[in-house]
Order: sequence, then C-alpha cells, then structure tokens
Amino acid sequence: MGTKSLAHQGWITGILMILPYTIFFALFSLFPILYGLRISFYDWSLLGDKVFVGFQNYTNLIADEEFRSNLMHTVIFTIISVPLVSGIGLLLAILVHGIRRGQSFFRISVFMPYVLSVSVISSIWVIFLQPYTGLFNQILRALGLIHEEIFWLSQPTLAWAAIIMSTIWWTVGFVFILFLAGLQDIPASFYEAGQIEGANRWQTFWYITLPSLSRITILVIVLQTIASFKIFGQSKLITGGGPAGATKTVVFSIYENGFQTFQMGYASAIAFVLMIVILVISLVQTFILRRLES
Amino acid sequence: MMDRIYYYFIRIVAVVLAIFFLIPVVWMLALSFTPEGENVFGNGFHLSFANYEKVLSQAPIFGWMGNSLMVSVITTALVLILSSMAAYAFSRITFPGSKFMFLLFLSGLMIPAEATLIPLYLFMRDLGLLGTRTSLILPAVAGPMGIFILKQFFDGLPKDLEEAARIDGAGFFKVWYSIFLPLSRPALAALGIFSFIGAWNDYVWPLISISDKAYMTITLGLPMFQSSYVQQYALPMTANALAAIPVLIVFLIFQKQIIKGIAFTGGKEL
Repeated sequence: MGTKSLAHQGWITGILMILPYTIFFALFSLFPILYGLRISFYDWSLLGDKVFVGFQNYTNLIADEEFRSNLMHTVIFTIISVPLVSGIGLLLAILVHGIRRGQSFFRISVFMPYVLSVSVISSIWVIFLQPYTGLFNQILRALGLIHEEIFWLSQPTLAWAAIIMSTIWWTVGFVFILFLAGLQDIPASFYEAGQIEGANRWQTFWYITLPSLSRITILVIVLQTIASFKIFGQSKLITGGGPAGATKTVVFSIYENGFQTFQMGYASAIAFVLMIVILVISLVQTFILRRLES
Repeated sequence: MMDRIYYYFIRIVAVVLAIFFLIPVVWMLALSFTPEGENVFGNGFHLSFANYEKVLSQAPIFGWMGNSLMVSVITTALVLILSSMAAYAFSRITFPGSKFMFLLFLSGLMIPAEATLIPLYLFMRDLGLLGTRTSLILPAVAGPMGIFILKQFFDGLPKDLEEAARIDGAGFFKVWYSIFLPLSRPALAALGIFSFIGAWNDYVWPLISISDKAYMTITLGLPMFQSSYVQQYALPMTANALAAIPVLIVFLIFQKQIIKGIAFTGGKEL
C-alpha cells in the first residue's frame, strides 16, 4: 500500500467516526433550529391551518403586554441574581480557600444542592417557606428577625425573594467551585512578591487575588446570565408563575403559548428572540475572553 | 497571633454557612422519617418508615425512578461512545471538512434547549416518538459538550502512544478503542457523571414530551404526585428524599471527580 491510499483510508475512517454523532446533531439540534425559524414565520396552530405571516409574530411580541412583563421579570431576576450568585460564590470560595483542615466538608456542603433536580429543590423550598409550619420562618423568629408570619408566596416581591433565595442555594455551589479552582491556580510566587513589597491582606486581595480571577469572573458572569435568562422550573414549581403572573418568565411565555394555547408560531418567535439574546451574550463572552488572553 | 484569630474566625463563619447550606436537605430527611403531624424534634430520633411505605404505595415512585435510570444510563452510554469516537477523529485524523464540522458542533454549544422545544415537539410527534423514553434520550445525545471535553483531553495525550500500534497495523478504530478509551478513564468518568446527572435532572423537555404517567421520569412525576398534597408535608418530603437519595449517594461517592470535573470543564476548557 502506498502512502496515498493510507491517507485516503484515514479520511474515510475519520468521516465514519464522526458520522454517528453527526446524525444526532443534524436531526435533534441543527434541524430543530431551522424548523423553529420556519415555524416562527407562520400562524401555526397544532391542528388548524398553517398560514405564512412573515414577521407578524415578531411584531406582535412588541405589543404583547404579557410577554413584555414576563421579559421584564426575567431581566430583573437576572440583574438581581447574577451579582448575588457570583458574589456569594466568590466570598464562599475565598473563605473555604483559607481553610486548611477539613476543606472537603465545606466543599461538599456548599456544592451538594447543585446535584438535586429542580423538582426536588422547589418542593423543599415550598415546604421550607410555609408560613406557620415551615422551618424558615421559625428560624427567623428564633433569631429575633421577624415577629409576624411571612407569607412568602402570596406577594410578588416576596415570591421573587423566595425564588432568588432557592436559586442561590441551589446553584451557588457551581460558581463556588469555579472560583475555588481559580484561587488554587494562582501561583504562590505572586503572593510572595506581594509579601516582599509589604502588602497587607486587603492590598493582597485587591491587587493580586482579584486580577488573577478576572478570566473566571467573566466566565461566571456570562454563564450565570445565560442560565438566568432560561429560568423556568423554579417559577413553575415554587410559585406556579403567581401571584397573578408576577413570577412568570420568558420560558414561561414559550411554554404557555406553545403548549397551553398551542400557538406554535408565536411561541417559536419568542424562542428565537431568547436564542438570539443568548447567542449575543455567548459571543460577547468569547470576545472578552480572547482579548484577556492576548 | 492576629493570624490565628483570623483563621479561627473564618473557620467559624464557614461552619455557620455550611450548616445553613445543609439545613434544607437535613430538614427534608428529618421530615421524611417523622410521621405526618408530629414534631421532628419531638420524635426523639426514632426513625419511622411509615411515610416511605405510604408514598411507595400511593405513587409509582420506583417506576418513575426506573424510567429516569433507563433514560439516564442510555443517554450517558451513547454520549460517551459517540462523543469519544468523534473527538478521537477530530484530534488524530486529518480528513476534509474536519475543521468546519468541529466549528459547526462548537456553535451548537450556544443553542439553548429552551429555544428548540417547539420544533422538537412537532418533530417527535411526526416521528411518532412523542411521549416515549426514546424522545427523552435523542436530544440529550445531540449535545456537543462531550466532544470538546474529550478532544481537549485527547490532544494532551502523547503521539508516540499510538504510533507503535499504527506501525503494527492497527487501524484508527482499534487505536481509539484499545488505547484512547482505557487511557482517558478520568475524562470519560467526569463526562459520564455529568451526562447522568443532567439527564436525571432534566425537567422542561420531559414536561412537554411526556404526558402518560407510566413513562414519566422522577423529576416530572414528583410535582404531579405532590400537587395533591396541599397542606401535608411529610409525604411530599418523603417523595423528595426518595428522588434525592440516589443522586446524593452518587455525589458523595464521586464528589472529588465531580468537583474536579466542574473546575476542569467550566473553568478552563470553555
């Protein structure tokens, strides 16, 4: 066999080896995107006719008050929860990084909720937050922080507070682990140099630790922003979107329009808007990280 | 002296915070072992399995867990086999279009599952798969994350490892199977655990795809079962515990790999 036919054999094998995955990707990832784009230009109900309407679904979105308020809820949730989750994750990482003995106990405790499903964490928090019987109000009362029962799920602001608290509890472990890994990667020589310069603890943190974490910080913020834009499970399962629709989100809009009133075209348009937002965030991330690297 | 005080101070703060993180899970377990209406603290740490018996007799929890297990295991196996095969080809074989295909898959990372719910629903319905366990497996296998994790890992393996085997006449397929797979056990384990937990915990796609109670996964069945208990907590908490205990055990056994894997995939390779 000559080298030519060997190389030829190589590329047939290469193509054969990516083929099985490619079929899955084409059918269940690529095709749905294109199909969804097409649906979004139709008045497409589940059983009735499919009428081409151009950009009408998209223009209707702007006038749709329900969608606008769901979008608003999602944006506010993102603005509040991303700094909280990132900041608390960083604080916990710094705290645990400073502990030498028994560090794994803290890592396990903070990270454990992250492996539970949204159904489990939602149900735990609903019961945890019950006004009279729930443990949460009992703890607050024992600490002397409240004197009256708080009805967490019956008021919009408190309902959002409940969703945000449970989300922090559930997901902060992920951010915490990323920051902890980042802290462990900072070379000891950086700190030694700081010591020679006579930097105090605060200066060390501000001029050495934080800048060394910049890459991970950006990654965390972008990943959290994307995740926050997709929030659905907590709002569906903790508050049911209530009270009076105050905790409905963008994915809630997709769910209701698509699978409760069966306006597939309209729901697809919402899904496309969501995807473009997430695409833009991802691209901005890639761009910033590239610049940081060079 | 100051350093010692500071060290003990952060230790105490960390212990308090760790307790706060553990409270909801401990509370769930405590309630599940306490008969309805009784006080957790008045129980005197006597374990009662009455709630477990009741939950198991009232809802097909084991059936739902069986569905979850089946879906998660098959998804994980397919992800591992297909991703490692493709990752090996991208890492070691030059073939026309390989760069383009890799970039195409890379762009797939930016597609949120929430954006394809509607077309997937219609497509699965046309295929006649809607509401089956298969419909839960197929989209999860199409995720490209595994290819990136494994390609990074394969790129780091020394070239002379496979050269001897190639000279002895082994084909690429054989090298992948008998050299790369055994060598990349840690990466495969991390990817496997993530695929498993991801598939086990998926909520929104099963919610849309599955309507028949018999095919529900535990994540989906749980809220359905609990919605009938408005003012009771012991049974819903017991159902939660039943759903959570397997994942918690897997987590406690593999926590080192899981935590390393997150740091590896999330922190450096994205």
